[in-house]
Amino acid sequence: MTAPPLAGTVDVPSAPDPDADTPTAPDALRRAAGRVLLRNWTGASTVPSRGLYPHQWSWDSAFIAIGLRHLSVVRAQRELESLLAAQWGDGRLPHIVFNRAVPLDAYFPSPDFWRSSRAGRAAGAPARVETSGIVQPPVHALAAWLVHRADPEVSRRRGFLRRLYPRLVNWHRYLTRRRDLGGHGLASVLHPWEPGMDNSPCWDGPLRRVEPAAAGSFQRADLDHGAAADRPTDLDYGRYVRLATDYRDHGYLDADTPHAFVVEDPGVNALLIASEHALAEIATALGQDPTDHRTRAETLTATLVRRLWDPAAGMFRCHDVIAGRSVPERGVSGLLPLVLPGLPSDVATALMRTMTGEHFGLGAAVRLVPSYALTGNAFDPSRYWRGPAWFNVNWLLERGLRTHGRHPLAAELRRAALETAASSRFAEYVDPYTGEARGTRDFGWTAALTLDLLATDRRAGASDASREAVR
Amino acid sequence: MFQTACQEQLIPGDTLQHKWEFAAEAGYAAIELRGRGDLHFRSRLPELRRAAADGVPMPTVCVDMPHFVGAFDEELRRDAVTQLKSQLSVIAELGGRGAQTPASYGMFSRRLPPFTPPRSPDEDREVLLLGLTELGEHARAEGVTLFLEPLNRYEDHMVNRLEQAVELITAVGLDSVRIGIDSYHMNIEEADPPAAILAAAPYLGHAQVSDSNRLQPGAGHLDWPAWLGALDAAGYTGELAVECRLSGDPAAALRSVPPFLHQAGPQRPAAGQAAAQATAGQATGQAVTGQAPS
Repeated sequence: MTAPPLAGTVDVPSAPDPDADTPTAPDALRRAAGRVLLRNWTGASTVPSRGLYPHQWSWDSAFIAIGLRHLSVVRAQRELESLLAAQWGDGRLPHIVFNRAVPLDAYFPSPDFWRSSRAGRAAGAPARVETSGIVQPPVHALAAWLVHRADPEVSRRRGFLRRLYPRLVNWHRYLTRRRDLGGHGLASVLHPWEPGMDNSPCWDGPLRRVEPAAAGSFQRADLDHGAAADRPTDLDYGRYVRLATDYRDHGYLDADTPHAFVVEDPGVNALLIASEHALAEIATALGQDPTDHRTRAETLTATLVRRLWDPAAGMFRCHDVIAGRSVPERGVSGLLPLVLPGLPSDVATALMRTMTGEHFGLGAAVRLVPSYALTGNAFDPSRYWRGPAWFNVNWLLERGLRTHGRHPLAAELRRAALETAASSRFAEYVDPYTGEARGTRDFGWTAALTLDLLATDRRAGASDASREAVR
Repeated sequence: MFQTACQEQLIPGDTLQHKWEFAAEAGYAAIELRGRGDLHFRSRLPELRRAAADGVPMPTVCVDMPHFVGAFDEELRRDAVTQLKSQLSVIAELGGRGAQTPASYGMFSRRLPPFTPPRSPDEDREVLLLGLTELGEHARAEGVTLFLEPLNRYEDHMVNRLEQAVELITAVGLDSVRIGIDSYHMNIEEADPPAAILAAAPYLGHAQVSDSNRLQPGAGHLDWPAWLGALDAAGYTGELAVECRLSGDPAAALRSVPPFLHQAGPQRPAAGQAAAQATAGQATGQAVTGQAPS
């Protein structure tokens, strides 16, 4: 970054090939992450991966926007705007917005499986864009607030928050009203893909009730791009297809569908609450009253603790609404409520003890927090959400550690995440012990959250950190 | 993070030393010279040597001539090559990096009548390869680089996009010929300017900046963070040379550019957070030496 010398020999001044970039990191890491995001940009949004995931994914977009704001605030805003433009009339934000330029067989289930514009008409599915009919965790208001904060002037000039706020409010209203299927004041998920942790062992029990779709009735596309051993099994897939088919055939109407799978997930609800806090900040920035959002965040937090906290396990558990019992598995979603500033301190303390204990091993056995307990019967360090470590989860937990004042541990986790992102070439997920890359490479949110971890000064004091928890 | 240069004609002052006083004060790191024809640029050598001796950084020169290496007229084309060779020699003598030229400027546009140029695309290519090869060899001998600048479709009919320049440069096969990109032309011609920068990364040699409306950066609607982020991600380390028109008070407009580009450019990661140093190289396919500070 220095000017060439005025006198003396002048080197051939060509820019180096990016792949031969001199690794004077963290500059080199920032450049490498930037290349992933710039190459995965489609004009209005970012694909998680050029090969495996060629469309726009809901929570991917939110995490990607959080990193993209360091590269281009305008693109980060458009990322969220394009996703929210595909919102359904009932407020749901679909988990996939399909790019119509991509061939149907590039991804399964494809638009002709979901048939959103026809099958979802009663639920208000958009007519001009095809989407899936299920949802993903509501990280979007949090992302919108972080993107706004990156450049409030550009945000105001483009009317970013003003346009997004009512849509985000409707999104939360959908989750808190239509998705309170358990009737206890928490949002339920009705498909294992909805909590974003597709094949977590937490779903094994609730899924057993589901009759799989016949093996020959669908054609997976994910195995064209990923190693079978890293991906969900065929039997899992048959059940995923069955659940989605039943939902579709009932018009995606939550009240009308005879759901075979209804789970209250602590991760989904924690992110809903974190985003509700963000909505309060957004309302305030727009000169509106934030009280409702704050009240809702507090109520949801109290309900989450009352209903899903397992003091004996030292973590939150999923609740199988249909069976009426807690799911006896330790999935990482049970640690995610750590991002909440309003968590009772004994709960936060116990969560951090669990995270560093034998089940999740942070600071001892593993590099990054695994997606499922190391001690669990179903633990597999390579298979998707059954053990591998994911960067969005670890980004959230790093945030949670800072929120609750554990700065040295947060710094350690941050360092491990950056090292692993670099050494794995921004892998989709990694072996939690070795950091070895699994799934696809040059993965969108891994690169984006790398940029965010690099850019944000983590040396802030405790009070700043807890304030930042909702920013 | 990038250093900014300013073309000399934009800066107030009678001499290069006076101009540099203003430019340095405004936050520029260098001055980009303009090279007129008729060997006028060479005739400035005494002036340029004095300026260099007085510490004025002048890494690059941009042609300021009525005809170019892609001229239809063979005599004019030959003259353009002669002029550019001389300019490359002068900038080499000053210790600079190179000279920038388009294939042509204002000679023909396929978007304006009579729409069909008098030469076929194959003939255009042949003529350009001839000139670029001769100039590239001269540049290599002088230890400097020729920067080929794609212009928008209204100003040139031969090289409009970075990929076209890459194709020619690959055919020439000399490291001494690189692309000189210009944000204004790219905004008109490239579907995704940051992606175009990344795709041409190994061939980037120089960068000129002006906004979507040819005014100073910040006065238009380019997505500067994305453009500069791509340039950074491409590993470019040269200057951003301001070549534009100025809106409002010229001195104020000039002063606004370095802070604007600095603000819009990639920010260094937080200090004291060198965590990724030990392994970042692996993401870029490089071995890493040394231990990361903790």
